[in-house]
Amino acid sequence: EDALLPAPQNISILSTNMKHFLTWSPVIVQGETVRYSVEFQGEYERVYANESWIPSSECCLITATECNITEDISATVAYALRVRAELGASRSQWGTLQGFFNRITTSLTPPVLKVIADGYHLLVELEDMGPAFQFRVLYWKKGQERRMQVKVVKEVSSVAHLDTMEAGADYCVKAQTYVEAINRSSSFSQTQCVRAQGDTSMWL
Amino acid sequence: SGELYCSLLNPRNVRFESINMKNVLHWSAPEGTGNGVLYKVKYSVYGVGKWIRKPECRNINRTWCDLSSETSDYEEQYYASVKAFLNGMFSDWVETSRFNPLTDTKIDPPLVSVSSTDKSISIVLTAPEKWKRSPEEESVSLLQVYPGLQYNVSVLNKKTKKRWFFSISNHTLVVPWLEPGTAYCVSAQIHVSTPLLDSGFSKEHCIATLKDK
Amino acid sequence: TAGNKIFHFGACRVSMSTTEIRAGFTAIKANIQARDPIRTLSILSYPHSLHKVQSSDRCCITHHLFNFYVDKVFKHCKTEDSFVNRKISSIANSFLSMKRKLGQCHEQNQCTCGQESTEKYKQILANYEGLNVTSAAMKSLGELDILLDWME
Repeated sequence: EDALLPAPQNISILSTNMKHFLTWSPVIVQGETVRYSVEFQGEYERVYANESWIPSSECCLITATECNITEDISATVAYALRVRAELGASRSQWGTLQGFFNRITTSLTPPVLKVIADGYHLLVELEDMGPAFQFRVLYWKKGQERRMQVKVVKEVSSVAHLDTMEAGADYCVKAQTYVEAINRSSSFSQTQCVRAQGDTSMWL
Repeated sequence: SGELYCSLLNPRNVRFESINMKNVLHWSAPEGTGNGVLYKVKYSVYGVGKWIRKPECRNINRTWCDLSSETSDYEEQYYASVKAFLNGMFSDWVETSRFNPLTDTKIDPPLVSVSSTDKSISIVLTAPEKWKRSPEEESVSLLQVYPGLQYNVSVLNKKTKKRWFFSISNHTLVVPWLEPGTAYCVSAQIHVSTPLLDSGFSKEHCIATLKDK
Repeated sequence: TAGNKIFHFGACRVSMSTTEIRAGFTAIKANIQARDPIRTLSILSYPHSLHKVQSSDRCCITHHLFNFYVDKVFKHCKTEDSFVNRKISSIANSFLSMKRKLGQCHEQNQCTCGQESTEKYKQILANYEGLNVTSAAMKSLGELDILLDWME
């Protein structure tokens, strides 16, 4: 290491919807391009493998001051993270994230959904948030909140069918995400209501 | 690999190809060899001491050998190996990687049958059967092999071009309250989450709801 | 819960996900198994398959095996391939997470060890110690799907 090159500072984690990013302040050397390398250490490495560190899969000699560590944080345990600056042959000391990061703390946002009434059929279109996500969809006939139904949607490749509706009736839908790997759910989305085709007299 | 003049080049790309646990060993002929090459095959159960010859695949000139019977216990894992010989020359034994029938098989799409009334269509899905030695042998559905098996069903309204998607565990699905006199096309896929195995989608089965009485 | 898998190990019920371990193992299976030339011995399945273990002993055997992999196996599986090493780290840390969940059952006395599981685990250790440590560790890692197939 080279005392001239200071270690990166202000190291922090941004984690939303199971996408985790390590960020830090740039190390400025006039007229030079400083590069950075990131390493991670899971609880297993700390406790059972002599506190060994593993190079990040994405961030070796990068120029950005942000690293996507999602692939590296692949278990629900406490991870240590560190980054150092490199300029030619000289390397700074490691700057280490204060404390550990466990992906169980990721912030989960409610899913974006679009509710569709297609004739007498209630359908929902959900935003694809990646393989880690499932969706818990709640739907009910307006005014009959106590008879709320639940459907878990795992594949979001197209429009998911929820149920058939009574003619002319209003139905409401809300959804939350669920991440099996951390056994946590987001808060619910806004409720959306749609009306089935036809008029209510059809059912008399 | 062996020198050219006293030993034969090795068979290439030796691997299991498995569909619904019909486990067939395949390979390619040694490079540069035309017809006339013969082969013999042996297999072993991983963790058990011995290699076992497959008599029906001794001195064969084809480049496959059905080992379904020998590898039907999917709680075991297997290796297979092939040796080529021609005019007194012979190659090395060339092995497959370790074969796990449970995770390394491919699953066919389900059988789909559709019927309709004026306002609904009924879909019946049948999971493929595990390979069996003979028609008389009792059938085992892949549903029994993979208890978590689910069906993803796609229903396309040919008039509106809208496609709906159902994810179901049981094998029947009724879609009521449809438009009379309209064509709907159905296809289905099998999804197993552990181990992760997806079949392709079946070909589309189209049917029209009856015209309004 | 919406989708986490509930594993039943005798009286013990544990909610956990093996999806990522499966994915990690599938990504390195060919590489790891190719490093194990010994076809005639299995650490987990020799002489008897895990499938022969009685339901009442499932929790104890699983508890032993989680400890076996965490304490003995993963640390001796370093390779020259950084991709493989990262996947092994991912699997090892996931095992740590599962070991902790199953440990709760052990503490609540739902994970009693019968004679069969004790004998079976002794056999696994004997198989392991019958090889040099790197070969034994690499073979054990290559048999992870045997454990997962049996667990699921």
